[in-house]
Amino acid sequence: MNNNIYRVGTANMYENTLRNLGTRQTNLSNLQENLTSGKRVVRASDDPVSAAQAERALNRLARIQTEQRALETQRNAIAQAESSLGDAVGLVQEARQLLVSAGNAALSSSERATISNQLQSLRDQLTAVANRTDTNGLPLLGALGSAQSPFLGPLGSTPDYLFAGQPGQAASNGVAIPNTLDGDAAFMFDATRDGSFHAAITQGTGTVIAPGATTASVPAGAQPNRALTTSPITVTPGFVFNEDPATGQAYSYSVSFSNVTLNPATNTLSATYNITSTDPAFVPPAAQTLTPIKIGEKNEFSINGVPGMAFKITATPTKAVDGTITLSPADGDTIGIAPNASLFSVIDKAVNELRAAPNSSLASQAAGQALANVDKGLERMGNIRSFAGELLNRADRITGDQSKRSIQLEADRSRAEDLDMIKGISDFQNQQVGYEAALKSYSMVQKLSLFNFIG
Amino acid sequence: MSLLNVGARALLANQVALQTAGHNIANVNTTGYSRQTVVLQTVQGQFTGGGYIGQGVDVQTILRNQNELLTRQAAQAGSVQASDSVRAERLRQLQEIFSGGTEGLGASINDMMNALSDVVNSPTDITARNVVLTRMDETAARMRSSAERLNEIQYTVTEQLQSSITAVNSLATQIAAVNEQIARAKGNGQSPNDLLDQRDQLIRDLNQYVQVTQIPADDGTVGLFVAGSQPLVLGNAATELSIGDASAFPGSGQLKLFFNRPGVPPSELDENMLGGGSVSGLLRFNNTDLAEGRNLLGRLAMGIGMNMNAQQQLGLTLDGQVGKPLFSLPASMPGSTNGAGVGNVTFTDATQFAASDYEIRFTTGTAGQVVRLSDGQATAFTSAANLATLEIDGLQFNLTTAGVPGERMLFKPFSTAAANIESLVYSPRDLAAANPINAAMGTANGGTLQLGSLKATGEPNPPGLVLPPNANPALVPPALGGVQLTFNAGPPTTYDVLNRASPATTLLTAQPYVPGAPISINGWEITLRGSPNTGDTVVIGNALDPQYGDAYTRNAGNATALLGLRDVKMFDESTLSDGYASAIAQVGTRTQSALFSAKLSDTLASNLERDRTAVSGVNLDEEAARLIQYQQAYQASAKMIQIAQNIFDSLIQGLGR
Repeated sequence: MNNNIYRVGTANMYENTLRNLGTRQTNLSNLQENLTSGKRVVRASDDPVSAAQAERALNRLARIQTEQRALETQRNAIAQAESSLGDAVGLVQEARQLLVSAGNAALSSSERATISNQLQSLRDQLTAVANRTDTNGLPLLGALGSAQSPFLGPLGSTPDYLFAGQPGQAASNGVAIPNTLDGDAAFMFDATRDGSFHAAITQGTGTVIAPGATTASVPAGAQPNRALTTSPITVTPGFVFNEDPATGQAYSYSVSFSNVTLNPATNTLSATYNITSTDPAFVPPAAQTLTPIKIGEKNEFSINGVPGMAFKITATPTKAVDGTITLSPADGDTIGIAPNASLFSVIDKAVNELRAAPNSSLASQAAGQALANVDKGLERMGNIRSFAGELLNRADRITGDQSKRSIQLEADRSRAEDLDMIKGISDFQNQQVGYEAALKSYSMVQKLSLFNFIG
Repeated sequence: MSLLNVGARALLANQVALQTAGHNIANVNTTGYSRQTVVLQTVQGQFTGGGYIGQGVDVQTILRNQNELLTRQAAQAGSVQASDSVRAERLRQLQEIFSGGTEGLGASINDMMNALSDVVNSPTDITARNVVLTRMDETAARMRSSAERLNEIQYTVTEQLQSSITAVNSLATQIAAVNEQIARAKGNGQSPNDLLDQRDQLIRDLNQYVQVTQIPADDGTVGLFVAGSQPLVLGNAATELSIGDASAFPGSGQLKLFFNRPGVPPSELDENMLGGGSVSGLLRFNNTDLAEGRNLLGRLAMGIGMNMNAQQQLGLTLDGQVGKPLFSLPASMPGSTNGAGVGNVTFTDATQFAASDYEIRFTTGTAGQVVRLSDGQATAFTSAANLATLEIDGLQFNLTTAGVPGERMLFKPFSTAAANIESLVYSPRDLAAANPINAAMGTANGGTLQLGSLKATGEPNPPGLVLPPNANPALVPPALGGVQLTFNAGPPTTYDVLNRASPATTLLTAQPYVPGAPISINGWEITLRGSPNTGDTVVIGNALDPQYGDAYTRNAGNATALLGLRDVKMFDESTLSDGYASAIAQVGTRTQSALFSAKLSDTLASNLERDRTAVSGVNLDEEAARLIQYQQAYQASAKMIQIAQNIFDSLIQGLGR
């Protein structure tokens, strides 16, 4: 039995050397695979935690690309919406200029008809602009959801224009902006929010006081031109108007004048007016009197009793040479106050009233009312337009943030799985030298044997 | 005369020594060969008046140099190395299925989810919907093909096990035969070196397949025992091993090693007692590693599929129909057992799944424990009714027939989900991109409320999603429909919820309002931003209410909700988009640790082998030295004979005339 501990079996010696050579060769080829693929982590078992980190970084990069693509679509939609609003503002400003010129008392009715035709065409263009869609067929001003053409009208019923959709604005978040604007906020009016009312004067028949009489009577010939206009209606801020559940609009009011009498002593007129409303909850106040109405002068009176609204009338009764007094206001004159459903309604009402105005007083009434409400509409459109501009700025900021994040994620991914080329090449060369040394020593040791020296 | 004898004896002895050295040199590269040395013994001296005169040398025996302890240790280390290396190799194959990068299954899942973003931006675009559905089909196909590859690996593992067992049985038979020969040869008085070498080599080969304990018997045979106590070879009798389905869980795919004693039913061997050997490594791979891989893949399929199905079924298609499921998934999976109990498992909460198999262990016929096999966590239950109320990791276990005490039932809830997942929706119009509800701000709103998000969640379920009532303008007063939130600026800012049916009912009052926090009512959820004025309202209506017309066709709220599933945590704190990355890490860690242990056991085995051959291996230089030594002795002995002859010649010459 052998107790020598310094013995080694020849076959085992060769086997061990072969095993070491095999190990070195495998390491060399693994390093080569790393170098050619550029990755330190080729398989998950090389470094499971880094493999998972690299995978997660790839996921997030793909997601940022998706979000950016969506942002481009949204940005296009908002840019188109903003330019549509720009077009709309241009159209409304042209309409405004026409309305200003329509208030000129020297125009004839055929000239007013021409203006009203131009206004009509502007209003048609405005409706088309408001109903524009983007490249995917979605309405640009569709708010939170709408029909294919969100602005319906002119309709025969009340209200005459409808926003067929859900009003409201979608919010932006850190990676996206909305792709529609709130069209209801841009073009539609709400009585409580905007206080847009239209006062239309219907002329009565008892418009003269014959010489010597004290009460009104119907003139023998044609109706005279009378100067009775109202100021734009101002609404008490914060006042909540009752809404008609059938139409969704505020109720309308009417102020009717009656009992116009002449006081021969002071040579002034007095008139009474009553206020009624379609609101079943409205309690009509008692009849109120306007006095004194000086003949031949411009008189201004405030009309009280219409809840939430205040306006003045300007009345100029005249006395003819023969003593006939043309009344203003006259018996049967009614001021009808109705809410405007939308900016389109305002222009439509102006078109209709200008075309039908028998005299310049009514024409200037129509133009004055329309101008005040058009200004309200322009303010709202301007608000929404600047909101759209802010959204576009936000999209730019989001793009900047996302590209910074992309760069960071790419750096994370690279750190997790890419090979440091310098280190990789130096490791590879070390392994190469080691492998060469092992091969050389194998061939040299193999030559040494006692058998070489025996006989 | 005696000198001639001494010389002749010496010559013969040295000749034997030379032949033995030559035998060693010839067998230098034979595996399992133990070197033999000649043991010389001096012949007893003859008694004479002048003392005991030596009679020369004799060969006592040819000694086989080997260390019992080192041989046994080397065989065992080789066994452990075989087990670790086969498991590491198979795990490397398994890892290939879970590969990452831009062509991996994870990238495919994320592409499918990200494609929904195009649908969100253009809900009426049929092309975008088509892309989403195509990608869903592709993801399902890739899951199926990954599951197919898993099945292939299992098939090859089973085949390898079968052929290994065949080899084990044949080796056992051969060892038994050699045992008999050795027992017979023992009677001759000398040890049969070559037979012993042959038997040691066979035992070493057997250890590569399955680790055996060696107990030598008195008659020279060696008994081999498997799993500590089962006699594989006793004397000249060998017993057969076989591979079969686990007897406790028939049909579950778990494999076990069986010991087939003749005349007795096969006894199942616990694989934890097997120790090393490639059979043990393969069994461990099949029963644990492969099962984990299948569970990870299956959980991915179930989690993604169930969540997407649930969201799709809340939304509206382009035709105004409620969405149909996107993926086909199993509704329940049966439990396998060999006892009387019958049960199945159903899937309830798709965000709570754990990638594990489950076992029900009965303590009595109706009560017991549900054990999660991945980490041993146990949940007790007292009866089948009690069990049906428990939700364990998003699963519900139903026992339709009671079991017997001590019975075990194995459930593999995720084993077939990935192999059978199919995409069910092909028509782009059937993708339910639209929300079943819509929101409208009041036109009189003066605050800065904006809509952050609106989606149907269906939680809590029951009752699930309850749609707001439709408007009914025919009634007096007309019912406005929808659910209205009215805000009060405060501070603190609160809101009330009114259900505007006819008659209207109040659902909630004075709820605190936090911008950006989701408000969850009746199975839908709304998020608002900005601050309201007192009296501001938001109305949530039924999208199919006729008053809204076809506005739902241009709505992509449900597609946004599907997109939002990317960030839902459903795989142990990983979100949907990161689920695959964590599966890669899990399989990779397993593979890495298997590779490390394979390397370690490889080093140990080669060290022990070197130690063994240090005793019993042939060293050519040593044999060359011995050749010279014995050649010299032979020459000296031959010279001795020559001298003896000379003496005889001189004697004869001196006596003759």
